Amino acid sequence: MIGLLALSFISCNKDDGYEAVVNERLDFVVPANFPAPAQDIEHNYPTQKGFELGRKLFYDTRLSANNTISCSFCHEQENAFTHHGHTFSHGIYDQEGTRNAPAVQNMAFQSQYFYDGASDAIDMLSIAPIHNPVEMDETLENIAVKLKQDKEYVKLFNQAFEGGQITSGNILKALGQFMTMMVSANSKYDKFVRSEPPGNNFNQKEMQGLELFRQKCASCHATDIFTDSSFRNNGLPPNPNLNDLGRETVTGFKRDRYKFKVPSLRNVELTAPYMHDGRFGSLESVLNFYRNGMTDSETLDEQLRAEDGTLGIPLTDEEKEALIAFLKTLTDEEYINNPLFYYQT
Amino acid sequence: MKFNYIKTVALAAIATAFISCSSDDDATGEVIGDTYGDVEFYFDNGAAGNSLILGVPFTNSMDEALTVNKLNYIVSNFVLIDADGNEVVYPKEESYFITNQQDEVKTVHLENVPAGDYKAVRFGIGVDEQRYLQGETAQQSFWDLAAANDLTWTWSTGYRFVVFEGTFTSPENAEPLLFKVHQGSNTETDNYREVTLTLPTTARVREGETPSIHLITDVNKLLDGETKISLHDNLNQAGTAAAIMGGENLIKIADNSTEMFTVDHVHNGAGHHHE
Ligand code: HEC
Ligand code: HEC
Repeated sequence: MIGLLALSFISCNKDDGYEAVVNERLDFVVPANFPAPAQDIEHNYPTQKGFELGRKLFYDTRLSANNTISCSFCHEQENAFTHHGHTFSHGIYDQEGTRNAPAVQNMAFQSQYFYDGASDAIDMLSIAPIHNPVEMDETLENIAVKLKQDKEYVKLFNQAFEGGQITSGNILKALGQFMTMMVSANSKYDKFVRSEPPGNNFNQKEMQGLELFRQKCASCHATDIFTDSSFRNNGLPPNPNLNDLGRETVTGFKRDRYKFKVPSLRNVELTAPYMHDGRFGSLESVLNFYRNGMTDSETLDEQLRAEDGTLGIPLTDEEKEALIAFLKTLTDEEYINNPLFYYQT
Repeated sequence: MKFNYIKTVALAAIATAFISCSSDDDATGEVIGDTYGDVEFYFDNGAAGNSLILGVPFTNSMDEALTVNKLNYIVSNFVLIDADGNEVVYPKEESYFITNQQDEVKTVHLENVPAGDYKAVRFGIGVDEQRYLQGETAQQSFWDLAAANDLTWTWSTGYRFVVFEGTFTSPENAEPLLFKVHQGSNTETDNYREVTLTLPTTARVREGETPSIHLITDVNKLLDGETKISLHDNLNQAGTAAAIMGGENLIKIADNSTEMFTVDHVHNGAGHHHE
């Protein structure tokens, strides 16, 4: 019977016409200062070939209806995979969306995606930008049709997924593997908290900023991912032109009105403009807002309301400066320059 | 359903090996260990006691008359249960199916199920949380199948479990208005449900014998079950259409959907199959 089984495997290999390639599992390392991943990595564990395929797809304009827009169009590496300088990402046919593109980094450590949590699975989230009529306006099924005409892709899917075909599921998995490996954990801050090298220190201003951050910000921008993946209303005055309801869009519950996903603050120096609608052009403006720009509403996060009823997070000018100095220590040059994530032919 | 090639060959090899050792050819109906057969589920859609006919109205207990023009849904995670309560769980990667009233896709066919006498079945309505991609194997793409049947959500990223659409009239609106019920999970509420149904007759799975389990799906129960959901109460602000796609209603519909299925009868033997 073993003979028979072996035979059947051999005949499978012959069928697909490709030499067996070694497809190594990649080493997915959880940085020492990180919490455990929030996604089930084993479910679609990254392999060398799967990762490379995911990267190729991320940079491929064929993922859009008229073959002009790739994921990387709105998520550029030099800006921590955001769309620098664009309040609203503009996508296919030069249309504008209504939200600002967030950084793509440490996705495996987050449990919710998009400002409203439209997805909670790293292997499924790509469905949203691909089908969004103002982003890529394409369908997975049609991408598969297009890619099947490219012999190179036929080969790469086959290698990445053990005889796998070009299917919607495998496109999603490859993108998922690429994003799983996109870990930013080597900022000045990381090296400081991990004592790399021993004795590595923050200057006084950065130190003060870190302490302020832990007191006033870390309840929401939590852990070394700098988000707890929760949805909260941080008091931004709703933009009447957009009336973006935030989390309510997904859940249909009124209690979720104007709640948005707490964004990670890693690489925040590089990801302006800020907030879901990109309304603030600088960190300074963000802090001014936290200090005295908040609007009250039923769903405002309780922490932002003081006992005497005043809203906001009290900050002196000096404290603002210290916080900004600290936020800049979250910039990870190694991440934005990592050739592993470059476009490669 | 496409089947994983390697596994089929392996099971066939195992089955062959055992069969060749056995002299009895199942004339007595005994269950022979390590033999396999198929099972079929036939989902026959009805509405409040009658057949569901697209385009023909039926009236519910709230006096709303619904004319359905689309009914598709996902069933999944099939389990067969014998008299001792032993469960045969169909391989998860192959256990996601769609039904489509318009295209008459009504049959779920399970292959290579261990021979046995099964007294009950369990299955899910929709796709279970966190296991979106289990229906995806290297060779098959459940997403494509679901998308072709309008059973995907693309602005968020999941499956629609039930798509139930048409027009309705009510005591308050004599002229027909559109309704759309899209049932599914979102990242806040898990609206996947499972049902366990006792079979009125034992389903005998044998090599070469495929029992067919005939279910009746009462679509009326979706809005008119334990919890009543009036379409008129769910009209949009302009009063032009009722769209139920989120919030509390999805949880209620999920619970109602577990009342939807009954097993009408079971056909045993090799013959009389649907399709
Ligand atoms: C047209 C610009 C555009 C394109 C193209 C685009 N995105 Fe995005 N991306 C956005 C915007 C805007 C958001 C925020 C949307 C929201 O919150 O609703 C976003 C959000 C995301 C997020 C969520 C990040 C978080 O912290 O929650 C991920 C991950 C992501 N995109 C990956 C991708 C991938 C993968 C592709 C290609 C398949 C892609 N994007 C294509 C603009 C784009
Ligand atoms: C009550 C929870 C909460 C607290 C406390 C909080 N934030 Fe936020 N923060 C949020 C939410 C939610 C958003 C996203 C809001 C949106 O886009 O609508 C956000 C957005 C931001 C952004 C924009 C990031 C981007 O990429 O667009 C920055 C910067 C920021 N916060 C910094 C801080 C700092 C610094 C503090 C402490 C002084 C702080 N936050 C305290 C919840 C909080």
